Amino acid sequence: MLRESSNRSGTLDSLNLQGTVNPDTDSGVPHGSLLTGFAEAAVRRTEALPGLREQIASELGVQELVDVAGVVANFQRMVRIADGCGIPLDEFTKDATDDCREDLGLHEYASAANTA
Amino acid sequence: MAFEYHGVNLPIRAKTISSQRMSWEMIAAPGRWWSGAERVEIARIGRAARDFEAVGSEILPEAAVYAIQKLVVDNANLNREWYQEIIASEGMSEDRYVELVAVVVHSLSIDEFHRALGLELEPLPEPIAGEPTRERPAEAAQRASWPPLVPKAGLNPGDEMLYGPMEWGANVISALSLVPENVRWLHDLSEGHYLSFAEMRQPDPLRAISRPQIELIAARVSALNECFY
Repeated sequence: MLRESSNRSGTLDSLNLQGTVNPDTDSGVPHGSLLTGFAEAAVRRTEALPGLREQIASELGVQELVDVAGVVANFQRMVRIADGCGIPLDEFTKDATDDCREDLGLHEYASAANTA
Repeated sequence: MAFEYHGVNLPIRAKTISSQRMSWEMIAAPGRWWSGAERVEIARIGRAARDFEAVGSEILPEAAVYAIQKLVVDNANLNREWYQEIIASEGMSEDRYVELVAVVVHSLSIDEFHRALGLELEPLPEPIAGEPTRERPAEAAQRASWPPLVPKAGLNPGDEMLYGPMEWGANVISALSLVPENVRWLHDLSEGHYLSFAEMRQPDPLRAISRPQIELIAARVSALNECFY
């Protein structure tokens, strides 16, 4: 979805998918480090969360902050549906991600055995 | 009324609020396999688990409590053998498991929205009296996922379009369909927190952040959870 949406927005050339798995890598998405840092703080519930919340509100805006929180909340749900039901990859996802799953190290996840 | 957001100086979207209210109503009401009191209890156990509090329950089977806690704090390490052990346990079944997962993940998602924004958690709803219907759709069939799925023909009237052109829907959309109400629930809270299924196919602008920003956050959350799917 990230690659597809970047393609549609004309920013595919600057996208680095490693930014999704490696917090030290610039994804190429505007404000990407701030957004992934917030996601990590929210998922791991670290002390960095309040500061990152304020940073998003001041640098991006409060509506942006609310929307970011919504996406984090949504995917905290979706991953558990996938993990809890052992769903396989859809064919269209498999085809679209064949070239990057290995590079991103996704096959090393324990859940890969359930869904591959 | 729940989710008034009194004193919250943030622009919470109307659809977010309505979908969260709908979720609380869903949790409070009797389902197909659990009573309202049991469903609220499932949400309570899940909420505590996110705080690493392993609380017990006087009304849920032991295996249900264990499944809730595992889904919340150790979801990356679930496997088919674990699932089969859970559904074979006393007081459990594949139907009850699917309904339990739905309550866990939807209540967790709403709590996570609040935690991300530094808001107090919404008090859990009061259970609504009544008995579970214990109705399994006749169309349910075993596919590649662990629990059986329901095809488009077995969904509740009006929900068929949620599968799009696919007879069995995308795998994550139909994952909880053994209890067909879950498919609508999944969609409505998606729209409230992320995007509706229709919006997913539309170009920006959809929210205050761009679609690549949305998907970067989604991918990072998935990676942090070590979710292959």
